[in-house]
Amino acid sequence: MATALLIILFVPLLGAIAALVAGRRLGAQTAWVVLLAPALACAATVWLVLQFAPGTRTVIEWPWIPSLGLNLTFVVDGLALFFGLVVSGVGVLVVFYSAHYLDHHYRDHGRFYCYLMLFMGAMLGTVFAGNLLLLFVCWELTGVTSFLLIGFLHDKGESRAGARMALLVTGGTGLAMLAGIVLLGQAAGTYELAALLDGVAKGASPGRLNAAFVLIALGALGKSAQFPFQFWLPNAMAAPTPVSAYLHSATMVKLGIFLIARIFPVFRETELWSPLLVTVCFGTMGFGALLALMSHDLKAILAYSTVSQLGFLLGYYGMASPAGAQGDFLHIASHVFYKGCLFMVVGIVDHATGTRDVRELGGLRHRLPLLAGITAVAAASMAGLPGTLGFISKEYMLKEKFDYWEGAAALNWYPMVLVVLASVLKVAFSVRLFWGVFGGKPRPELAKNFHAPGLAVQLPPLLLAGACLAFGLFPTVLGGALDRLHTVGLHHPVDLEFHIWHGVTREFIMSMLIVAAGAGTFLLLQLERWRWARVPAWLRFDAGFEAAVDWLPRGAKLLGRGLRFDRQFDFLPIVLGFTVLLLGGFWWRHRGELWPGLPVWADINPLRAFVVGLIAVAVGMVMHMRRWTSQLIAVSVIGFLVTFYYVLFRAPDLAMTQILVESATLLLVLLLLARFPRSAELSEATRAFPVGRQVMNAVIAGGMGLLVTLGALMAMKHKHAEPAGSYYLENSQPLAHGTNAVNTILVDFRGFDTLLEATVLVVACLGALGLLMRYRRTAEEWAAGAMGPAGYGLGRTTDQKKEKKSP
Amino acid sequence: MKAGQSYIFRAVGAVLFFLINVFAIYLLLRGHNLPGGGFIGGLGSALSLIMLSLAFGVERTQGILRTDPVRVAGAGLLLALLTSLLPLLAGDPFLRHYHVVLPVLGKIEVGTPLLFDVGVFLVVVGVTAKLIFVLARPNADLTALAPEEWRNYAAPLEEPIEKTARSESPAPEDDVP
Repeated sequence: MATALLIILFVPLLGAIAALVAGRRLGAQTAWVVLLAPALACAATVWLVLQFAPGTRTVIEWPWIPSLGLNLTFVVDGLALFFGLVVSGVGVLVVFYSAHYLDHHYRDHGRFYCYLMLFMGAMLGTVFAGNLLLLFVCWELTGVTSFLLIGFLHDKGESRAGARMALLVTGGTGLAMLAGIVLLGQAAGTYELAALLDGVAKGASPGRLNAAFVLIALGALGKSAQFPFQFWLPNAMAAPTPVSAYLHSATMVKLGIFLIARIFPVFRETELWSPLLVTVCFGTMGFGALLALMSHDLKAILAYSTVSQLGFLLGYYGMASPAGAQGDFLHIASHVFYKGCLFMVVGIVDHATGTRDVRELGGLRHRLPLLAGITAVAAASMAGLPGTLGFISKEYMLKEKFDYWEGAAALNWYPMVLVVLASVLKVAFSVRLFWGVFGGKPRPELAKNFHAPGLAVQLPPLLLAGACLAFGLFPTVLGGALDRLHTVGLHHPVDLEFHIWHGVTREFIMSMLIVAAGAGTFLLLQLERWRWARVPAWLRFDAGFEAAVDWLPRGAKLLGRGLRFDRQFDFLPIVLGFTVLLLGGFWWRHRGELWPGLPVWADINPLRAFVVGLIAVAVGMVMHMRRWTSQLIAVSVIGFLVTFYYVLFRAPDLAMTQILVESATLLLVLLLLARFPRSAELSEATRAFPVGRQVMNAVIAGGMGLLVTLGALMAMKHKHAEPAGSYYLENSQPLAHGTNAVNTILVDFRGFDTLLEATVLVVACLGALGLLMRYRRTAEEWAAGAMGPAGYGLGRTTDQKKEKKSP
Repeated sequence: MKAGQSYIFRAVGAVLFFLINVFAIYLLLRGHNLPGGGFIGGLGSALSLIMLSLAFGVERTQGILRTDPVRVAGAGLLLALLTSLLPLLAGDPFLRHYHVVLPVLGKIEVGTPLLFDVGVFLVVVGVTAKLIFVLARPNADLTALAPEEWRNYAAPLEEPIEKTARSESPAPEDDVP
């Protein structure tokens, strides 16, 4: 079992490396190499499923950082396997689809498949993670890789904006989730999922559990694009279509659902569980369906309908009884099948006609008969027509809502109403999706750019649509398969039974009424020609979010200007003066116990005193000199003289370092000074402070000097603490096999620090290079004034604005 | 930095460059047991590059180097990382070091700390040299980064100020009230 898990976790990473290597040579053909990775992962998952005994949980553990409570623990249970199947299975289809979709018009195929495989690896890691911290790390990795995927076409402004929005929203809510995880871990005393699922946290204080739940739920809501975070999903549609099909229908947005299902046994008993999930998520369900009806872009329709369906799936766990949910996998599977299929169809339509606007499309059934058939099945499943999996799912869903209504829970009518409303709207936009693209009269203007898609690219959506139909006609097969994935703690112990025909029950009547109402809505709106249908800006939220993000650098500028960071002459006396006042005041209050006593004159070493005298002369020179270069050289004389003390106290390493650093710094600052115009130096030299200001500066400088002297004297006198150095001195030879303790500390005892410092050095260098490449402001930015959005990389650039205006 | 005017400096600089580097590598190699190490050696080596660019001009020095110092720094970081990851393959904890005694020239004890130190050396050389080069180039009327490097370090949409040379009149700084 461990071997299969290793294959599942590592094959995507190998695939990512292979994609990078193969990408340069093979271009669009990279996909065929990469396809092996999801196929292997999928096969390994299927093998695991066959090995798996329903209702059990296997924990596989490798130690990683045991001192932090972080082990590489993985859990194999029904939930993990189900999501693993979805991720790897859809992964196979998406890579196959991309192989045909991303033709030679696209660039950087290697990079694309590399990101895709990394994303898949992160997803599988999240799904199988058995430790909350590990789960969090993988969770954030999915966010980062999805950022790269959404922004893949990075020369388009909307891609960059969408990617940034997705990263900020999912990453930000992810941080809330981290806080929740830490709270839970502290309350329960462990981060291991297996222990938590067995109810370790039950005894913790309810307040803590509630807080932890709300924070973790925030992470799930953000990832699954629930209100008020729903706006990132439609904007993420700027990604290439295979990415949308994979991330935004089948996998990443389902992570929120996965997380809620994962923590179901832990938090189901808390009193906030039902109210929070039911209110927010069913609300989002109705809201998303309404927005989907108001959109015209095919991808936007699908995005909002995904938001809506995710709301239902999350809310579903919210209203599940403590004994467990039951039909959750059915609803998720149904959604994966039809939504993945529809995204792929939209990609093909976009590719074939060059537009995704439903108002410009129409009559394509003659040109794309196979695709029309596929879409008809998938849209029927989305609408819940009989004979498809969507129908079974909807029957089941309505039955549960009726049961819930009859239950005594508060707000028991709320899910029912919203589910019915959303279902009616869903039928309407499903019909519109099909009819708008394939129905109606053929449009002559579409024929110009039309190029027919190959058969191969239609194969993955065909398979998905086939699944919708097959499982819809033979639901018992699916029921049996899902029973195999029974998850202890999450699922109701009773077996699932799906049937195509339950007789004329109230659910069936309701379902038919919904279809009729939805069809009616569609007809009405079609006659109206969808004139009113437009998503108003205030309902989209994204403009507000962007404005808030734009205000970050502006706020920073305001703060910087308010505090006069640019004028150190005014700023420095305040900082130093406060330091002198606070530390001096503190010292004066405790002068009795802190007074170190004056040094005995006989102790003074003439050699050291001589060097101190030299340093004092150099300090005097700094004050006396007027040219910057001379001042700088005087300052560095001080630095070199300090080296003398290192030699005196037998620290040759430090002495050498000091000399080298001093030389390098001197050269560096000299180079910088050479960039200033002569006039700047002259104006400063002639600048005279008023007498009062000069006195104040002198007092502050004298106070600072006094404080530092006192500090040095005290440090000489009070030497209680055991110095840390002796351990290293004693163990340098036996443990690190080196006699230079400074070096053994750097490379061996504290090697981790050194490694991170080296990383920081490289990162700082890269940052500095970006800053040193200064940019010319455009005329617009000059006009915006000092508070304008220039620079910082966060404000919108002018190009982006132009792009926004054009459509 | 423009090329130095002094012939003597150039002649001596070329010789000194090798001497300093030999000394820097000597400091690096003996670092584990005697004063020295990757950081000090790296700084020394970076200073030798600065000296070379004082003598011959920054453009010529970069030409001699051929590679971008940032790549050197990256390689160093990678080496240090790989050295610290190596023990994981053997099942030992992260950053465990190994030592062997080689029977050459008497007995020399070498170990993975040296590899790690070489990584630090490369990082320090690369970062210091790159920053100094970038700061020095405008003084020689060159752009801070060579045009072919622009894409590596900056956003593609924006256009650098220093396209041609410093002699072009600088844009007026925004006035501070």
